[in-house]
Amino acid sequence: MTSAEDIKSCCAAAYSSDAAALLLGDSYHPGGAALTRRLARLLSLRPAQRVADIASGPGSTAVLLACEYGVIVDGVEFAEHSVQRARETTERRGLAESIRFHVGDAERIPLAGNTFDAVVTECAFCTFPDKAAAAAEFERILRPGGRLGLADVTVAGGGLPQQLRTLAGWVACVADARSIDQYGAILDDAGLRTVHAESHDDALIRMIDQIEARLHLVRMTRKNLIAAAGINVDRVLEFIELTRDAVANGLLGYSVLIAEKPGQG
Amino acid sequence: MDASKGRDEVFIEYTKSICPVCKSVVDAQVNIRNDKVYLRKRCREHGEFEALVYSDAQMYMDSARFNKPGTIPLAFQTEVRDGCPSDCGLCPDHKQHACLGLIEVNTNCNLDCPICFADSGHQPDGYSITVEQCERMLDAFVAAEGEPEVVMFSGGEPTIHKNILDFIDAAQARPIKAANLNTNGIRLATDRRFVAELGARNTPGHPLNVYLQFDGFDERTHRAIRGKDLRDIKARALDNCAEAGLTVTLVAAVERDVNDHELGAIIRYGIGHPAVRSVAFQPVTHAGRHLEFDPLTRLTNPDVIGRIAAQLPEWFRVEDFFPVPCCSPTCRSVTYLFTDGDNVVPIPRLLNVEDYLDYITNRVVPDYEIRTALEKLWSASAFMGTDATTENLRSAAQALDCADACGVNLPAALADLTESAFMIVVQDFQDPYTLNVRQLMKCCVEEITPDGRLIPFCAYNSVGYREQVREQMTGVAVPDVVPNATPLQSILTRSPHGSKTAGDGHTVRIAPDTTNVGHKAVRR
Repeated sequence: MTSAEDIKSCCAAAYSSDAAALLLGDSYHPGGAALTRRLARLLSLRPAQRVADIASGPGSTAVLLACEYGVIVDGVEFAEHSVQRARETTERRGLAESIRFHVGDAERIPLAGNTFDAVVTECAFCTFPDKAAAAAEFERILRPGGRLGLADVTVAGGGLPQQLRTLAGWVACVADARSIDQYGAILDDAGLRTVHAESHDDALIRMIDQIEARLHLVRMTRKNLIAAAGINVDRVLEFIELTRDAVANGLLGYSVLIAEKPGQG
Repeated sequence: MDASKGRDEVFIEYTKSICPVCKSVVDAQVNIRNDKVYLRKRCREHGEFEALVYSDAQMYMDSARFNKPGTIPLAFQTEVRDGCPSDCGLCPDHKQHACLGLIEVNTNCNLDCPICFADSGHQPDGYSITVEQCERMLDAFVAAEGEPEVVMFSGGEPTIHKNILDFIDAAQARPIKAANLNTNGIRLATDRRFVAELGARNTPGHPLNVYLQFDGFDERTHRAIRGKDLRDIKARALDNCAEAGLTVTLVAAVERDVNDHELGAIIRYGIGHPAVRSVAFQPVTHAGRHLEFDPLTRLTNPDVIGRIAAQLPEWFRVEDFFPVPCCSPTCRSVTYLFTDGDNVVPIPRLLNVEDYLDYITNRVVPDYEIRTALEKLWSASAFMGTDATTENLRSAAQALDCADACGVNLPAALADLTESAFMIVVQDFQDPYTLNVRQLMKCCVEEITPDGRLIPFCAYNSVGYREQVREQMTGVAVPDVVPNATPLQSILTRSPHGSKTAGDGHTVRIAPDTTNVGHKAVRR
């Protein structure tokens, strides 16, 4: 049952920390399956390699990588219900042999060191409060010569402009996103050398479109509940418009970055 | 000597087509020039022909990903003898089953439209099928499909056939999931008892949808396409349908510089009308009777989609439309939307349709039930108001589940909206200029003939089968219909039914393909 209270907490989440999850569901990240495939190609994944997916959500990336690239995946996810769902999906598809999920924190990854050929993390690094710790964990679990594939929201070098700071409160990803150089520096401090970076801003636009479409839908179907909860959808839509402008003006973006742990595998 | 002069086009396909004048089978090439896709062919007798087939080369190439493996029907009606398109049909070489079967119940019509691919009208030499013939045609359809998705009654004008209700009853007595009535609306506007009879036949297990010809709102549009101002008739027909609980698809024949400015208005009107659940736009098929046109600038699907986006920018973008995978993906594009009358949310904005319907890239699909639902929605068999479509929309909505993340159960919320979901179809039928055997071989819309064949719709209109069937049914010779194309004006004369035919008057039968089969590759 959806109640006004649910909507309120839902939209409160939107204003505070969980906007992407709110309207996109947790199975979406910018670029969808196409960008995951791009990441996999850039990582040159080969059958039987070990891959860790950090912030694995309901497991769609893990399933794609296991099925299409033949790799063994360990997914790590903070939300227990997501891990549960991911396990069910994996079981149903008969993939339990090649995919395992673990409840865990990116800043203390429950996986062995010097083990993984690749670490994948999509639209998640920007939300980690202690990025240096997370980066150090990536470095720890990668084998020498292993690679990190990171897809994430980026902001222009000078950080968020004033007009968007009000926004920062409700779009978690934007709130603590960094420039691509800053991401590179954080990884470098942890001992991961950036070998490739490319921009995918169109993926972010597509995600913004999805958020907007879902907002319209919520308004259409649950008008009374939204009104009862005192949510101003028009205002949220204005924020969305501002965000879209920010992408168009290069203040916000989405990038893929590949970094390597030095040494021979 | 400078031998480095480059071609101005990229050669992308080698296929077969027909000569639009004598209907002989000829080889054809598809080329990309100035970001547009053209089909070119040469007839030994009548020279070279070229036509625009897709006005956006990038979209044409991208659409290949949306090509779904076909399904084999339970029965074929003919054998492979001379090759496509001479063996219709369906012959065992055909790549797809029938999503939709058409039955033309007559050739007579209560209008004499300047545009009519069936070349119908007030004519002394036409034919009407009998109930027995209709039953045989329906049986042939059932034999081929088992449980066919949709049968559509067309004409002529099917509502003036005295047995049309019997035909609908005969369809509903068979395991055919839905029936459609294709009409100009004149009888629906004037005979409310007839509309009530149709309404009584629109029952939950046996939906009956009205496919109403509806080209626009300008008087000029009506006069150019229909020869009459039918605006009042259309409005009354729609209101009568709403009253009788009938679901209506508005069907617009779209011609460049005639009504291509009215696409947005038609959608807006349809969304606002209680009877209307979908709109179908069909660039005018330059087969049968039509206005003079230039094959190099004819309207194609990307033109129609572009105009929709330009005329309703607050609601649509080009990217909201996706190719239909069951037929050749360049033939038909579709979008669905949720609406409350004021707001419109196209479904492709909510979920990544390409994650499910791109058959080349995806080896893993996020959810196979959702793919199945989307396949049935993005199909020639999908009609709004049927139980199947409602159910498929519900299944597709499962992809929007974010209840875990936020507490808003979108699929549940959408259950209320599937009743008001709306469909927009853009369908470019092939004509004697544009016919490409590669597309034809995967056609899933078939004309059911009185002798029990299932002939791909575009072959029926373009290759000579329509003329063949009419001749068989009436015993009156029917000359080959030739497109009213600007480059052919010097050889065209008027046929008895108002279409054009080649001036010498002789009828050339469909020729077996002698251009690339039947003899050794190198003659010595």
